[in-house]
Amino acid sequence: MSKKYAKPEEFNTLELMAVCGSKQIKNGEVVFIGTGLPLIAAMLAKKTHAPRAKIVYEAGFIDSNAKEIALSIADSRLGYRASGAIGLIETLGLMLQGGHVDLGFVGAAQIDEYGNINTTYIGSFEKPTVRLPGSGGGNDIVSSAKRIVVIMTHEKRKMVKKLDYLTSPGFLDGPGAREKAGLSGGGPSLVVTNLCQMDFDPGTKRMRLATIHPGISVQQVLENTGFDLVVPKNVPTTEFPTYEELALLRAIDPTGIYIPREKT
Amino acid sequence: MYGLVEAPVEDKRITLKEAVKLVQDGSHLFWGGFGFQRPPMAFAQELVRQNKRNLTIYTCGSEMDIDILSGARVVSRFELAFYAIEGIGLVPNIQRRIREGSIEFEDYSNLAMALRFLGGALGVPFMPLKSMLGTDMLAKKRFRTKKAEVIKCPFTGEKVVLVPSVRPDFSIVHAQRVDREGNVQIDGIKGEDVEGARAGKKVIVLAEEIVETEFIRAQPDQTAIPNIYVTHVVECPWGSYPMMVYNYYDYDMEHVQMYYDQCKSEEGWQKYCEEYITSVDGHIEFLQKIGIERLMKLKAKKPLPY
Repeated sequence: MSKKYAKPEEFNTLELMAVCGSKQIKNGEVVFIGTGLPLIAAMLAKKTHAPRAKIVYEAGFIDSNAKEIALSIADSRLGYRASGAIGLIETLGLMLQGGHVDLGFVGAAQIDEYGNINTTYIGSFEKPTVRLPGSGGGNDIVSSAKRIVVIMTHEKRKMVKKLDYLTSPGFLDGPGAREKAGLSGGGPSLVVTNLCQMDFDPGTKRMRLATIHPGISVQQVLENTGFDLVVPKNVPTTEFPTYEELALLRAIDPTGIYIPREKT
Repeated sequence: MYGLVEAPVEDKRITLKEAVKLVQDGSHLFWGGFGFQRPPMAFAQELVRQNKRNLTIYTCGSEMDIDILSGARVVSRFELAFYAIEGIGLVPNIQRRIREGSIEFEDYSNLAMALRFLGGALGVPFMPLKSMLGTDMLAKKRFRTKKAEVIKCPFTGEKVVLVPSVRPDFSIVHAQRVDREGNVQIDGIKGEDVEGARAGKKVIVLAEEIVETEFIRAQPDQTAIPNIYVTHVVECPWGSYPMMVYNYYDYDMEHVQMYYDQCKSEEGWQKYCEEYITSVDGHIEFLQKIGIERLMKLKAKKPLPY
């Protein structure tokens, strides 16, 4: 059966972002995720191309098969048909730092051109204007997972030249820096936003426009980015969700907890 | 003639009020539970009622429980990895207290905190890990003389981060079941409570149910924390409300949302604190105020754990 793609007016941006995230999960992979869109992306992947993906939540739920949306990574809902319910030393220590995690999803309040992430402070460290949630397991995941996908909204104040605080390491200041710092994981591989998808130039480790969402121009992306984004000659449009994926997303989040139904 | 005698069962039970009374101002506490799961909410409320001051709290990630402690100025320092009210937003009282400068944070990652508890429990002064490298968590600190240190492994030359172990005065853990001797069963995820409970100089376990010691001894493989570590035991049903306890009850997001909305202003927080914490005489009266009907709706619908 060939894939039937939806038309741009038939899906919203959050649905597109969830599908983009889902496609990064390969069948059989061990994947660390949090709540929000990554949770939806992982649930979708398990119902489509990656039924054998093992979803791990840092609080201790392992190989979860949750059927209801969870609000917290420690939510009892994630215990549904899980293969294990253990703890942080198990998930972040033995499993992640031990080298068993293929892919991790994280969010970011700020990101720079090398994929370094801030989730701790806005403003100066000495007198911050906002105190954000902090690292949680984010730093551990970004330090040690083989690949990292960042999902965030695309705004100039979030895509910055210099972070207010470096919570989780991307490629630090460029090629070779992770290795020099002693980090074992592979670093960020993709950033999914409401405007586009960006990967990292293999030579310079700088963020590079990969695909652009329908109805968005390269100019719009650049206007909303506070650093010099690498823009290749040809930037393809992001693959649209299929009707099957959209139907599954609506079944996964029927009340619109993470994906409100209205067109965004 | 020597007859066979059954060893008497030691009884470590005390009341919530008695347990909180043991915590002196300025104490350092390991704070159990993870996110929405098994936070020692009733203990937090009683700390507020007894007007404790200047506590230091060590935890991985906590939410409404530590926001209450911050709002009521019970805690002045945190060493932790995460706080927010997941699914809703940033913790409101903590934001205000930080702006006032009345609370301070030392930031670590979740693995770093969990290992700091394991180190304390193991009786070694530090633990190595491969997180935090290259970040401001290493470069910047608030009040610790030494927060973390990067060294080259003496065996391999590999870079590792060392974080200091924690031996707090008390470990506070809310669990599903405990017997009067202090043998603890935890259903669902354990977060960092297995290590955190073993790190404390004194350990107070609150539980949904006190069970007969025979219940524990019929299935010893289910014991998450053996009695050897546990100093006091407190019977505390619905002790994590409005958060959740695996196999016992779900969260009450309506109450949490009401808390969050109200605490956006200092006056709103003061009103919440008076209505639900300081004007009620203890945990049972708090539960009565919430009402049996509301609580019963949250009871886990088995075989689902929520």
